[in-house]
Amino acid sequence: MSADRAIVERWVERVLQSYPAQTLPFLRGEQDPFRNPVGHTLRESLTILAGELMGKMDRQRIAQALDAIIRMRAVQDFGPSDAVRFVFDLRTAIREWGGAVPDSLESRIDELALLAFDHYMGCREQIFALRINELRLKARYAASEEGETP
Amino acid sequence: MNALYSLLAVLLLVLAGFAGGSTGAGRGILTFIVPYAAFAILLAGFCARILRWAWTPVPFHIPTTCGQQKSLPWIKPASVDNPSTRGAVLVRMAMEILLFRSLFRNNRARLAGKRLTLSENRYLWLGALAFHWSLLLIVLRHLRLFIEPIPAWVDGLERLDSFFQLGAPQLYLSDIVVLGALAYLLLRRFRDPAVRFISLFTDYFALFLLLGIAVSGVLMRYFVRVDILGIKQFALSLAAFHPLGPNMPSPLFFTHLVLVCALAAYFPFSKLMHMGGVFLSPTRNLANDSRRRRHINPWNHPVTKHTYAEWENEFRDKLVGAGIPLEGEDAGNAHTN
Amino acid sequence: MQETLIQIEPKPPRGDWRDPHVEFRKGSMCYSAAPKNLTYLGLPNPRVWQPTDSDWKLPPDWKKTILAGMKERLDKFRSFRLFMDVCVRCGACADKCHFYLGTADPKNMPVARAELIRSVYRRYFTLSGRIFGSLAGGRELTEDVIKEWYYYFYQCTQCRRCSVFCPYGIDTAEITLLGRELLTLIGCNINWVMEPVANCYRTGNHLGIQPHGFKDSIDFAADEASEITGLKIEMPINRKGAEILFVMPSADYFATPHYYTLLGYMMLFHEIGLDYTVSAYASEGGNFGSFASHELMKRLNAKIYDEAKRLGVKWILGGECGHMWRVLHQYMDTMNGPADFLEVPVSPVTGTVFENARSTRMVHICEFTADLIHHGKLRLDRGRNDHWNVTYHDSCNPARGMGLLEEPRYILNHVARRFHEMPENTIREQTFCCGSGAGLGTDENLEIRLRGGFPRANAVKYVKEKYGVNLLTCICAIDKATLPTLLEYWVPGVEVGGVHELVGNALVMTGEKERTTDLRGEALATESVLASGESEARHA
Repeated sequence: MSADRAIVERWVERVLQSYPAQTLPFLRGEQDPFRNPVGHTLRESLTILAGELMGKMDRQRIAQALDAIIRMRAVQDFGPSDAVRFVFDLRTAIREWGGAVPDSLESRIDELALLAFDHYMGCREQIFALRINELRLKARYAASEEGETP
Repeated sequence: MNALYSLLAVLLLVLAGFAGGSTGAGRGILTFIVPYAAFAILLAGFCARILRWAWTPVPFHIPTTCGQQKSLPWIKPASVDNPSTRGAVLVRMAMEILLFRSLFRNNRARLAGKRLTLSENRYLWLGALAFHWSLLLIVLRHLRLFIEPIPAWVDGLERLDSFFQLGAPQLYLSDIVVLGALAYLLLRRFRDPAVRFISLFTDYFALFLLLGIAVSGVLMRYFVRVDILGIKQFALSLAAFHPLGPNMPSPLFFTHLVLVCALAAYFPFSKLMHMGGVFLSPTRNLANDSRRRRHINPWNHPVTKHTYAEWENEFRDKLVGAGIPLEGEDAGNAHTN
Repeated sequence: MQETLIQIEPKPPRGDWRDPHVEFRKGSMCYSAAPKNLTYLGLPNPRVWQPTDSDWKLPPDWKKTILAGMKERLDKFRSFRLFMDVCVRCGACADKCHFYLGTADPKNMPVARAELIRSVYRRYFTLSGRIFGSLAGGRELTEDVIKEWYYYFYQCTQCRRCSVFCPYGIDTAEITLLGRELLTLIGCNINWVMEPVANCYRTGNHLGIQPHGFKDSIDFAADEASEITGLKIEMPINRKGAEILFVMPSADYFATPHYYTLLGYMMLFHEIGLDYTVSAYASEGGNFGSFASHELMKRLNAKIYDEAKRLGVKWILGGECGHMWRVLHQYMDTMNGPADFLEVPVSPVTGTVFENARSTRMVHICEFTADLIHHGKLRLDRGRNDHWNVTYHDSCNPARGMGLLEEPRYILNHVARRFHEMPENTIREQTFCCGSGAGLGTDENLEIRLRGGFPRANAVKYVKEKYGVNLLTCICAIDKATLPTLLEYWVPGVEVGGVHELVGNALVMTGEKERTTDLRGEALATESVLASGESEARHA
């Protein structure tokens, strides 16, 4: 149990490292979920993901946790690869802790990475759709009222 | 880097004090010129800065409201955090200046899980409060050196400060607190990368300077014997504008003196002016009554406007077509035109 | 790890904030203002350019202009001079900014945002800075600094949350507004501010809708309100001699979900028989000028008093809008007053004298409605909002620039049965911004908006999961315009609505036909839901 805990801690720590150094202590330390939504979401989601990967593999819970974290990283300053890289950090975390990654977990991590990419694309597509929608609304208001700029 | 440079600067001052205090000529300068020059700069600089702020107009009424406004009589207003009268503003300012209300605000005690957690910010409030109050106490205690006979309230403060009657000479609480608070504020700047990111040379310099003053003072009181009577004589003579050299000059005392003078001279050019500025902040010292009383902007100037007449001219056809009444017409007439 | 093909790119080490380099990326910047808008307003340096260009085509003497502009403002605004001087960089504001929380960019700490301009102030306007330069925290004014100002001053929604926590009350909104004024001097504006300003200036509203279009929209809404209630509801336009001039943000009459709030106003005014008019000339309450400069703020705001005077009304009533109310509450009287041609506002229904608006003579609709409800002048059927489980988002400006906190809550509690507050450090004076205020709410800036709105959405998600909240109410046109997108991304399943939309739903009107739908045309809750709604105690 505490082994899992230690691995999750390491995983969280590695993922946090992808944010600017100046913000780390805040993201890491501030426990209030409303004052520190990014840090809180990361910690919560990674904990769930680790639990499921090393445990029951509940698809539903994995999808939810993955979505929460990807949704955030999809709008932050990450390219696609950096946005989903955190999945592989679990491997590193386990090795750092001194454990070996069992084959079953290896394939689960790969699976998760693919899933993460799906979610990432889904989020990006949604962002574009939302943007188009806003543009369309704006254009519609303007057109229907013959709004013309001076 | 900033921290290193500022540490060096303070050490340089310490050296200057030590060296000055060890030579006759240096002692002369430090006794007769430096204190007066420093305090002249402090006084003139401080006043100039305050007057500059005070003379700059407050064109708009921009208090930050931190609670319910006073509107309908049956809704309870937050009279301190959103003051509607001058009296309430005074209370708000007092809370701000004496208790650091705003710094405290983010620290409403909160139960996270089962234990009460104190966020970093709460320590900031505590550290800042401890530092400022103990510094004030220390400054007031020093009046005993400048006034003869010593006023009763200064004696009283001193008794309060040495309440625990530990050691000989008796330990002042404020000495411990000020050192602790300064150390915390400095450590915080080093440790928290976000704060380190925004810290400038001047931020470290002020802290090192104050730390230097506190340490040299503490050394003199508890560890290195200095001639208090001589110093008092010297201080009295300074205050009487008739300076005599101290009888038993100690380089340590001169170090202390130089650092204090440096602080005084540096004060008006630095962020330390927040001491005066806090009173003048327009987001705090105005009542939220801008709809009840008109706030006057002394430089309120006319601007070019798109007047109703211009607007009507530009859209006359469309106004008529839509049946919107024109100026000088009744609503009904517009349709018949 | 050897197996990584792509090098892990460590986050750029923001070693020193004085490095002014910024990267303009699509999705996280606003487009520049089109030259026609600047020309129409008579503003300097209209030209075709984009922030992604390497050459911003600044005027040759831009540096002189900026420094002279700073000098002028230092002498005119105590706030500016003081806020430049007194910051001690304690860092208390750092984690209070929604953009910092959402982007994790250290330059989005309010203190760092202010230091961008403070460093230039120290270098050119203080003795120590002139002598010691960077050692005293000074920084040369270069073109890169201008680019950085543009990037970060248009990445602040002027929500003033940081100012609540600052021990000296340093208000970043004031600093960024003055920073934007300086940028305006050399023609570095964003289009989503300047086009609405030009439109408001010319036609009266921010989309440039001309008077006949305005009338069509209003009439259309009045027809719809009539249809819903079976009554003949009208909203008079430019009617001289009315007792009250009603001013609302223009989004209320052409955007959804604002539109339902407009229906709510109409129904309320009809029910109490208010003698009022709206104006086609002053048809925009929202003041886009306040996002660019004090001067533009004043030029747009002047229309309201001018029109009130021309129409001969007694006082002015203002609709649900955030930045509009900051301007009305804290600036209008000073800028364009005194309103001595108006009378002290008195509610024609309850006789309440609005003492708090004695000088400006403009009352917030929530104050007005709360007073009506308090005096029992409205018949309200809260059951008609039982399909909504409501929370309330304090809009930044009414909260921190005014203190309008209890009035909307009082109304909500009388028109809806299920109401739940979000966590206390995300509401009232600590409310989180929508992330799109102050001119940033445009589509090309969507990613920054989504980041900045994350802290708000995070709190909404909490009440959604905990209490089943499905409607976020607010009293700000920008909130209503941008929160739907935000919530669709972060918290799907929560809609956005106005306080007076719910008033319209609940208002039992004399002679109305039986309602089966709410103002959105959605079916009202059935009896069984009603009962369950009743059993659910209010947690607030």
